[in-house]
Order: sequence, then structure tokens, then C-alpha cells
Amino acid sequence: MKYLIEKFGKINTAVLFLCIIFLILELIGHRHGETSIEDILFFPALFGYLSCIIIFKIGVSLRSFLMKDEDYYDK
Amino acid sequence: MISSFPPGLIMIVGALLIPFLPNIIRQIYMMVLILVSAYALTLGFGIHAKIEVMDIQFIIFQSDSLTLPFAIIFHIAAILNVIYGAHEKHWNQHVAIMSYSGAAIAAVHAGDLFTLFVWWEATAFTSVFLILASKTKRSYRSAFRYILIQVGSGMFLLAGAILLMSQTGNAEFRSFDFNSLYGQLIFIAFGIKAAFPLLNGWLQDAYPEASEIGTVALSTFTTKLAIFCFARSFAGTEILIIIGAIMTFYPIFFAVIENDLRRVLTYSLNNQLGFMIVAIGIGTELAINGAVAHAFAHILYKGLLFMGMGAVLYRVGTCKASELGGLFKFMPITAVCTIIGAISISAFPLFSGFVAKSLIMSALGKEGLVFVYFMLLFASAGVLHHSGIKIPFFAFFAHESGIKTKEAPLNMIIAMIIASALCILIGVFPSYFYEILPYQIQYQPYDFSHVVGQLQLLTFAAFAFICLWHFKIYPPELNSTVLNSDWIYRKMIPGILLPLLNLINDINKKIEQFFEFMFISIKKFFANTMTKNKIFDREVGQDTLIIVQLFIILLIFIFVWKIYL
Repeated sequence: MKYLIEKFGKINTAVLFLCIIFLILELIGHRHGETSIEDILFFPALFGYLSCIIIFKIGVSLRSFLMKDEDYYDK
Repeated sequence: MISSFPPGLIMIVGALLIPFLPNIIRQIYMMVLILVSAYALTLGFGIHAKIEVMDIQFIIFQSDSLTLPFAIIFHIAAILNVIYGAHEKHWNQHVAIMSYSGAAIAAVHAGDLFTLFVWWEATAFTSVFLILASKTKRSYRSAFRYILIQVGSGMFLLAGAILLMSQTGNAEFRSFDFNSLYGQLIFIAFGIKAAFPLLNGWLQDAYPEASEIGTVALSTFTTKLAIFCFARSFAGTEILIIIGAIMTFYPIFFAVIENDLRRVLTYSLNNQLGFMIVAIGIGTELAINGAVAHAFAHILYKGLLFMGMGAVLYRVGTCKASELGGLFKFMPITAVCTIIGAISISAFPLFSGFVAKSLIMSALGKEGLVFVYFMLLFASAGVLHHSGIKIPFFAFFAHESGIKTKEAPLNMIIAMIIASALCILIGVFPSYFYEILPYQIQYQPYDFSHVVGQLQLLTFAAFAFICLWHFKIYPPELNSTVLNSDWIYRKMIPGILLPLLNLINDINKKIEQFFEFMFISIKKFFANTMTKNKIFDREVGQDTLIIVQLFIILLIFIFVWKIYL
């Protein structure tokens, strides 16, 4: 625990623990989604994690052609 | 007497007195105006005021189950704006905010398209002063573009109204057929104000250029008025599902790379509007309730986020992520309120976003729109990324920026605390919130599946961000301009038109030069004929004249001879 807090910081470790708790919760109760695909075990967790990574990746790749100098319109 | 006075109108008329009132009395006076306006909401549903001009009846005050939630939240937002802007000494922004709020409230109660048009344009003309209030070169230009587009939207509305009037004999503000021409014109008018894809440039262009008070007001009224209009006129129009889904999706990527945190919030605003548009497109009672609930909740948490960033701008003078960081220890209350706004917009259980967004997601699930459902689920993770984490993280934590400042003024703090409290109250007591929605439905957002699913989605999305940041994969924020659809009319069209205009100008010059040359040549020619020994020389002129006269006589003779002989 101490190692984790030293390595990741308090807030990050807390988020990590929350993630684990919410996964355990799914194992205890019965979760079902609005669609049948969502009924797959830990689907929202996986979807949330991957979505964030995909958004980041696409966002970074867009930087090269969408990002211009700050005074781009003033030139 | 008061029953015939539409809500909002009293605020517009009353705003005229604001310049003459001293500071504190002015704020109390504005509160009174809003409360008097809100009194009209107690009159119940029905048509309360009509006027007749040139045999045409205008319904200037009607209320029903759809107008009520919008009217309530617009009045609440107006009060929050008055509190939030109380530190501003000059009257100009107060007049603008009061008349702008009044125009939006009056528009919601319009019963025909011509009345709507008047208030539609009034929202544009009053709100532009909030952008001009920044008094920068950028804000002047931005305000000019803003007013052109807003007025343009009004022109579409007017054209649609006239066409509708000519075809049906009345211009009642009701449900319209999208397949008719007037329906399409009205649809475009609403679409511009709702910041549809490619029509959204004005939103990201103008809002971040407004003053810190102005952006809070702007984020409330214009776009939500458009949402109200869509809910009134195009509920169940399927194309809205596609447009809305695109709206939820693409602004996420722009928000991720944008450096100006207020501009990030405008992309986020665009994304949230998408959720509402999708719900209106579905058109079921559950979905319409979802759209209205989302608009209601969104005004509070987005206003709260803009208030937080406005406070930072007011104290520090910038909202750029690259220049901010570490402000938590100087502005802890602002930071906590902004975090509450961020948690609400991310739709964490027990906060307003959750109880509103759940309605829309359930409506999508019930209709079996699986692909759109997952687009919106993806967008929900995006909202957490750019509004839930990026906004509070880069402003108040991230790295030490070296900026030393103090907490926001008391009035700003009070407004932020009230907005935060409302976000939590709606989230904790959703049943009271659902009672004001247009349709009475039985819906329980807090079941095991909803709560655990949402918590997993959000915490793991947050964990992904933490990993990216911790392992230094997340790139640093840079001072930059992110290209948006306004690039089309700010760069592309001038880029095509300017060379074309230059070409026309060049051709015009060449033609001018040619005629000038011809004129000079002719002038020279005649000048030459009058010099000595030439045909029109004065000395030989008499003889020449005689020859010319003889020639003319000869011609006349031939002419007469040919005709008569």
C-alpha cells in the first residue's frame, strides 16, 4: 500500500482502489446493460478505459494538422 | 394586467433603468425584475396574451408542460448571473444580461413564429454586447462574426415563417414537417443556434472571447433556446438522431487538444447539445423528458464550470492550460465548486448529470438504437476526459505555474456554491426534478446496473487518464489555435475569393487602361487634324466646310432621287 502511494500518489491510488471495488461489486450483484453486449463481464470498465485511450490517440494525431500558431487568424 | 405581460418582457423593459441605479440597489432591482417575471409562471398552462396587428394574431404568451422547465431554469440562471456579476461596476453588461435573459424567456413563451423571430433576434442583439465587453481586438472581430451568423439564423426563421404563413394561413409555433420547404428553413435556423456540425464555428469562436460574466450568461440561453425550439417543432425527426450523434462525437477530439480552457468548455457544450438533439430525434416521452432534463441540468453544471473558469480568468487574467496550474491552494472554494461541476457533467451517480443522461441512454436502449447508444457511451467517456478531468486538473493541479493569486470575489463564490448545491440536490432527489418534466413517467435512475456500470465506465476512463499522465505519455498543453469549422469562413472562403477578386480587379484595370489608351489616341487624332495644314486647320477650314456641305447636299440628292424617282 505504502509502495503504491509512494509510486502513484494518494489520489491515483484511491482511483485504482475504486476501480477494483467497482469490479468486485459486479461480481457480487447482477449487472445488466441497456443492450445485450453490455452484459459481458466488466464491459463498462473495459469500454471506459479503451475509449479514453482512443480519444487520446486520435486527439494527439489530430494535433499535427489542426493545431496552428496562436496568432494564426491574426496574420 | 400582469397576466397579459409575457415573462421576460418585464426584464427587457426594466433593464432600461439599470444605468441610472447605484451598484447594490441595481443588483436588488435586477433580482426583483426576475422574480416579477417568474410570477407569470404561476398562471398555469394555456394562452395568456395575444395581440392583433393588421388582422394577424400574435400569441405573445403561451405556456405548457414544455415551456415550464425551460422557463424555470432560465429564471434560475438569470438570478445566478446577477449574483455572479455583482462585482462588475459598469452597467453595460448588466443591461445586456438582463435583456438577453428576458429575450430568451420571452422566446420560450412565444406562440407563433413571428413573435419567436422578434425574441430570436433580440437574444442576438443583446448578447453581442457581452462579447464586446472584453474590449479586445479579437473580441470585436469575433462579435462581428457572431452577430452576422445569429442574424442570418433569424433570416432563415423569418423566411420559413413567411412561407408557412403563405401556405397554411397561420404561423403557429408547433410541430413541423421536416420534408416541407418551410420546415427545412426553420430547421436550419434552429440548427445554426444549436451549433450543428459545420454550423458550430461561432460557438467556439465567440464564447471564449466574451467577458468572464458574459460567457456564463451566453452558455445558458442561446443554445438551450434552440433545443427548446427543436423539442417543440421537430420531436421525432429521425435525422436529428444522426446529427446529434455526430455532435456528441467529434467535439471531444477538439476539446482534448484545445489549450484555452473556456474554449474546451465550448466544445464540451457542443458535445452536450448532441445528447439533447439525439433525444429529441428519438421523440418518445422518455427521450423528450431526457432532452429537457439534460438541458436543465446542463445549464447548471456548464454554468458552474464557466463560473469557475471565469473566476480564474478574473483573478489570473488567462484561461490557458499551458499557463495555469497549482491554483488549488489559492482558490480552494472555486476549485471545489469547479470539481462539483466536473463530476456533474461526467454523470457520476448522486450528481445532476447522471439523472438526466440516464433518461436519454435508457430511451436509446429501449428503441434499440445500439450503434448510436455506443457512440453516446463513448462520448460519455470523452466528457469525463475533457470536462471532468482536464478542466479542474490543468487549472488547479497539474504543475506549479508559479502564479500567486487570491480566492474569487464573494459574489462569485456565492453563485458557484448555489449552482453546486443545485447540481447535488438534483442528483440526490431526482423524483422532484422529474416532476417538472413535460411528461409524467415512472423512471428510477438508481438501480444496481445503472450505478455500477456508470461507475466502472467513469473510474476506468479516469484511470486511463492517470496512466497517460503518470507515465508522461500525455503531451504538454501548447499555446495554439485549433482549427474549427469557422476556418471555412475565416480562411478558406477568403482564400478562394481574394485571388478571384484580385483577378477581377486586374482584368478591370486592363480594360480601364485599354479605354484610356483608346481615348488618348482618339484625342490625339483629332488634335492632329486641327494643327496647321491638316483637314480641320482654321486656315483651310472654310474650304473644307464647303466641300463637306457639297458632299452632304449630294448625299441628300441621291437619297431623294432613289426614293421618289
